[in-house]
Amino acid sequence: MIDRKIICVVLGMLFLTCGNLFAQGVYSASHYHNEKEVQQLLEEIHQDHQGKTRLHKIAGSPGGTPVSVLEIGSDLKDVPALFVGANFEGNVPLATEGALRLIEMLMDSSKYTTQLKWYILPQPNPDAAKNFFAKVKYGRSVNDYEINNDADDAINEDGFDDLNGDGFITQLRVKSFNGTHIISKADPRIMVRADAARGERGEYKIYSEGADNDNDGKYNEDGEGGINPGISFPHLFPEEKSEAGLWPGQTPEVYGVMRFIYDHPEIAMVYTLGSSDFCISPPKGGRKGDPDLNRIKLPGRYARMLNADENQTYTLDEVVELVKDYSPAGTEVTPQIVAGMLGLGPAVNPLDEDLKFYSDFSNEYRKYLQSKEFSTDNLNPEPAKDGSFELWAYYHLGVPSFSMNLFSVPKVKEEKPEDENTPSAEEVVKMTDDEFLALGEEKVTALLNAYNASDNFSASKFMEMVKSGKLTPEQLLERLKNIPQPEQKNKLNEKEKALLAWSDEELNGEGFAEWQSFQHPQLGEVEIGGFVPYLESTPKAESVDSLLNVQLPWLLQLTKKLPQISFAGEELEEMGAGIYKLDLYIENKGQLPYPIAMGQRNSQPAPLVIVLDGDFELLEGLKRTPIRHIGANQVEKVSWLIKAGSKDVITAKIESAVFPDQVKQIKTGGRL
Amino acid sequence: MKRIFISLLLILYVISGISATNGKIEVPLRFDRYYNLAEVEEALRALHSAFPEFTNLEVAGKSEEGREIYALTINNPKTGGELEKPGVYVDGNIHGNEIQAGEVCLYYANMLLTKYGENEKITSAVDNNAHYIIPVVNVDGRYHFFEGGNTPSTNRSIRVPRDDDGDGLFDEDGSDDLDGDGNIVQMRIKDPFGQYKEDPEDPRLLVRVKPGEKGDYTLLGYEGIDNDGDGKLNEDAEGYLDPNRNWGSNWKPPYVQNGAGNFPLSGVGLKSIAEYIAARPNIIIGYAFHNYGGMWLRAPADKSARIPDSDIAAFDVVGNEAVKITPGYVYHASYDLYPTYGDFTTHLYFIHGILGFVGELFMRDQETFSNKNEKQIAEGAGSRSSATERNRELLGFNDYLTQGELYNEWEKFDHPQFGEVEIGGWVKMSSRLPHPFMLHDLVHRNASVVLHSANSTPKIKIEAYDVQKLDGNLHRVKVRLQNKNGLPSMTADAFDRKLYRQDLLRVTGAKVIAGGKITDKHFEKVTYKEHKPEVQFLALPGYAVEEYQFLVEGKGEVTFSFESQKAKNVKTSIKL
Repeated sequence: MIDRKIICVVLGMLFLTCGNLFAQGVYSASHYHNEKEVQQLLEEIHQDHQGKTRLHKIAGSPGGTPVSVLEIGSDLKDVPALFVGANFEGNVPLATEGALRLIEMLMDSSKYTTQLKWYILPQPNPDAAKNFFAKVKYGRSVNDYEINNDADDAINEDGFDDLNGDGFITQLRVKSFNGTHIISKADPRIMVRADAARGERGEYKIYSEGADNDNDGKYNEDGEGGINPGISFPHLFPEEKSEAGLWPGQTPEVYGVMRFIYDHPEIAMVYTLGSSDFCISPPKGGRKGDPDLNRIKLPGRYARMLNADENQTYTLDEVVELVKDYSPAGTEVTPQIVAGMLGLGPAVNPLDEDLKFYSDFSNEYRKYLQSKEFSTDNLNPEPAKDGSFELWAYYHLGVPSFSMNLFSVPKVKEEKPEDENTPSAEEVVKMTDDEFLALGEEKVTALLNAYNASDNFSASKFMEMVKSGKLTPEQLLERLKNIPQPEQKNKLNEKEKALLAWSDEELNGEGFAEWQSFQHPQLGEVEIGGFVPYLESTPKAESVDSLLNVQLPWLLQLTKKLPQISFAGEELEEMGAGIYKLDLYIENKGQLPYPIAMGQRNSQPAPLVIVLDGDFELLEGLKRTPIRHIGANQVEKVSWLIKAGSKDVITAKIESAVFPDQVKQIKTGGRL
Repeated sequence: MKRIFISLLLILYVISGISATNGKIEVPLRFDRYYNLAEVEEALRALHSAFPEFTNLEVAGKSEEGREIYALTINNPKTGGELEKPGVYVDGNIHGNEIQAGEVCLYYANMLLTKYGENEKITSAVDNNAHYIIPVVNVDGRYHFFEGGNTPSTNRSIRVPRDDDGDGLFDEDGSDDLDGDGNIVQMRIKDPFGQYKEDPEDPRLLVRVKPGEKGDYTLLGYEGIDNDGDGKLNEDAEGYLDPNRNWGSNWKPPYVQNGAGNFPLSGVGLKSIAEYIAARPNIIIGYAFHNYGGMWLRAPADKSARIPDSDIAAFDVVGNEAVKITPGYVYHASYDLYPTYGDFTTHLYFIHGILGFVGELFMRDQETFSNKNEKQIAEGAGSRSSATERNRELLGFNDYLTQGELYNEWEKFDHPQFGEVEIGGWVKMSSRLPHPFMLHDLVHRNASVVLHSANSTPKIKIEAYDVQKLDGNLHRVKVRLQNKNGLPSMTADAFDRKLYRQDLLRVTGAKVIAGGKITDKHFEKVTYKEHKPEVQFLALPGYAVEEYQFLVEGKGEVTFSFESQKAKNVKTSIKL
């Protein structure tokens, strides 16, 4: 124990104030790249591989830094593409490193670049990203877009101030008669909200570190910037948040990304490196307000117009048929038009069919990480934020969207419950459905008891839900954790516990700035302290390599799951008199459907079209037949009735803006 | 010699005859015909060169097809720079087919410039406001509406191709002007089992047969060819991206609302107009003219959006008069028509704090051909008891009031896919556009609404009306702000949501010990502002009077200034 302490002290002295968390200025593989270096690196890579890469400048940040997408595989035509965006919020420098490493991996081996194109955006938010390298760090997520947050007569006049000059913006606590917080009984570093119901009275007020520079009685309410591109995309755009801007895409980085992606319909899948992790857990469900497309009630006026029953429910397809009956000849009536007419609104939860592949791939990913002895016993990744890029990619583009959080702080191991009968949370999280059910009702009840949940929920009910696939053991545990735990009040929450332990054990205590008194210009005697910025998201530079080298290859492997569309075979039957029945079978050998269910819903992915050509007459069927959907590992049949000569050639083509076009020739006289 | 003279005369006469209809465009502009896109631009240049001191003609941006979008600014620089005055924004023709909306804009500009100095209200509007006029937002649409074959409703979209029918091709099956007359009308085909027969009173009309009755015709749809061979006519025409669903505020994707465009302001021309407006923070009221229904629609367009009562009152200042200036129009919130997302007025109001109106111009009800007077018609005196009867009346209007210009008689045509068909029906300049003989009345009434709102923009009076010495250098000063007009200096919504710098009353020249709003002048109640009392933030509603009290310490001149982005700034000084 003493040895370890000495080593820590020595290490601490070596790394001085900045701490090894923020080692900078050394150009090495494990060094974090600042916004200029990232741009320079992209330009160099492009210069060195001109035939294979292109550098697209898609926007300039409000602060004047280019936002660039590196295209790998610019020599390839007619292949699907991956889009990778990293660090949209600007405060996860590791995500940018991940994108750069991914580029390196792709340049080093041609394995994933012969049939695939990559568009990689390592730094969509350079204005915020630069804060990690600044003298005063505060985990900035907004760009330099000029916003007068407090609508007074000055802009950016009251931001944070590093009062104690330690290079970090932390917190101020000040004793106050009408304080809101008290010092935690579990750890004096942590401040908790006083709970009057438990006889507590607030003693401190808490502010972020800074002065009231504009003397308006508010602290740090109008700092530099800006808009956070990480929450400024149009799905569930959080309009109540000023950092989102006034509308989605108001800021040029976001507008540029949207323009670029829609200009490239070949993008078949999207990856995001940041703070959410769809590789581990699928996009969050359970939001209210999702329209149920199978049980639509028609408003009175539409019901009367369509001669329908306003007390009955209809599926969307049924309503489409009703509307078609009353539309003028030649009017296109699509589910989208009808959904818009009825004001059904956007989808807000991932569609059930898509959750299947998310959950299958998540299980595979966990196994993959286990095989690499990579611990997943870390603080849970954040759910994707409203207005985030990764949610937009799923809901608006209708493509598989996978995000990855490359680092989180390890959880502190929970003490084993005294009762051997109670399974621990760590065990339950890792369990498959079957393992969970095998625990039996008694043990599950014990688990519920441990979370004070048995009053409201029965073990059998939960087991039933797991059995029917409505709930995974992990989701069950999430629910249990949300149940208020009165006896936990004096304990630290899981996150605080983990961050303090991480700081103490791995960072020599430098992840938490100890409270120190300070004479504040307006507040008088205060104390400054708290967790340092970037602690949660940013590991030591020397662990970057191993983190990336283990996790990123999964993103390469995931590309193998993309749909692979080809002809599976054909049947040509002569009916007599030169009339043929032609059946073509189209297969998808991939593990993802095309499009995914959300893509079917929004019709955004480019269609697969089977095009027939040749000297024949079509009696039934279309020259261009769109295939609306082809499941993973499924075959779709398309049929035509054709009048042709006995030695004619029919050319069939699978045409797609995403997948390579394929051509097949069929001879009416016999096989080609 | 005589002969030569006569032929010269004739030539001159003929030439001058041409020039009277299609030639040089001169100020004052004429409103007895429609201008095509090039003529709109020429008209703007003519206004600018006739009144260079009052106007500025600039290109606000370029369209999808690279056409320039012109904006005309009208302001009298002798009475102040444009950004110092409340801005009035007017545009039209965002839907390419809605061309008379552009004429309203031109008329408004023409009215302001040609009657300046003659008419008091107009002179006041030019002196006290900045006017930003974009007659044609959808320049590609207007161009193609005139040059190509169209129905009254086509070329509404902006030119961002979309695969409407999901076959992997973009805009490949629009309508086709088979007879090359510039109009897309109906096609019908003789069919002994058809569902339609000729109306016995007017054989141009088709009426549905009763069950069991034999018909003569099948209606095929609009003039066109099945260009992509999918068994459907005209199902993938230009676009579709509705330029009034593509704005930023409350935008929803195309699967929620057709025509939204892939992302907010994906239309390049729209984006440049959004930037044009953002660069003019003085704009307080905005109009977008459309062409159907006779309506004044205000924000919001979505029922879930709430707006403060005082802002509704501000809209009403214009709306309640507008319905009288344009009889027959109705005035209500946009969502009462149907909910829309990403529409222009929502963007104006929620992003820029601009009171945004849509003016839906045309009422086809005004196309009358009847021995009943308006009152009898309004009371339903039988003249329009059925759709067929109304259609007969409209044809009468066409025959006797427009001399047949609005309706094409059915003509035989050899269709490449259907064989012999007949083509006929309402031409593109019908149904949604007033015939030029009705145009002048329409543009004048609607421009008068805009003028009324310009005359209602905030006008603030400031006075320090009570100065009392309290002790030594300490004085109590009362300041009154008065908005003499009906529109607010800043919308309540913009103030509450801190959209931009709030309007303020600032004291300079002395130290302000305390200051705040007088909430009850008889009991002398004041709500003092805790911090920075020398700057009081406020938004002054229409016709409002607000009083402030300051305790100031100092000597010499003390100045009280009202500063606003949209209302003209004013100040007053006292000597202590």
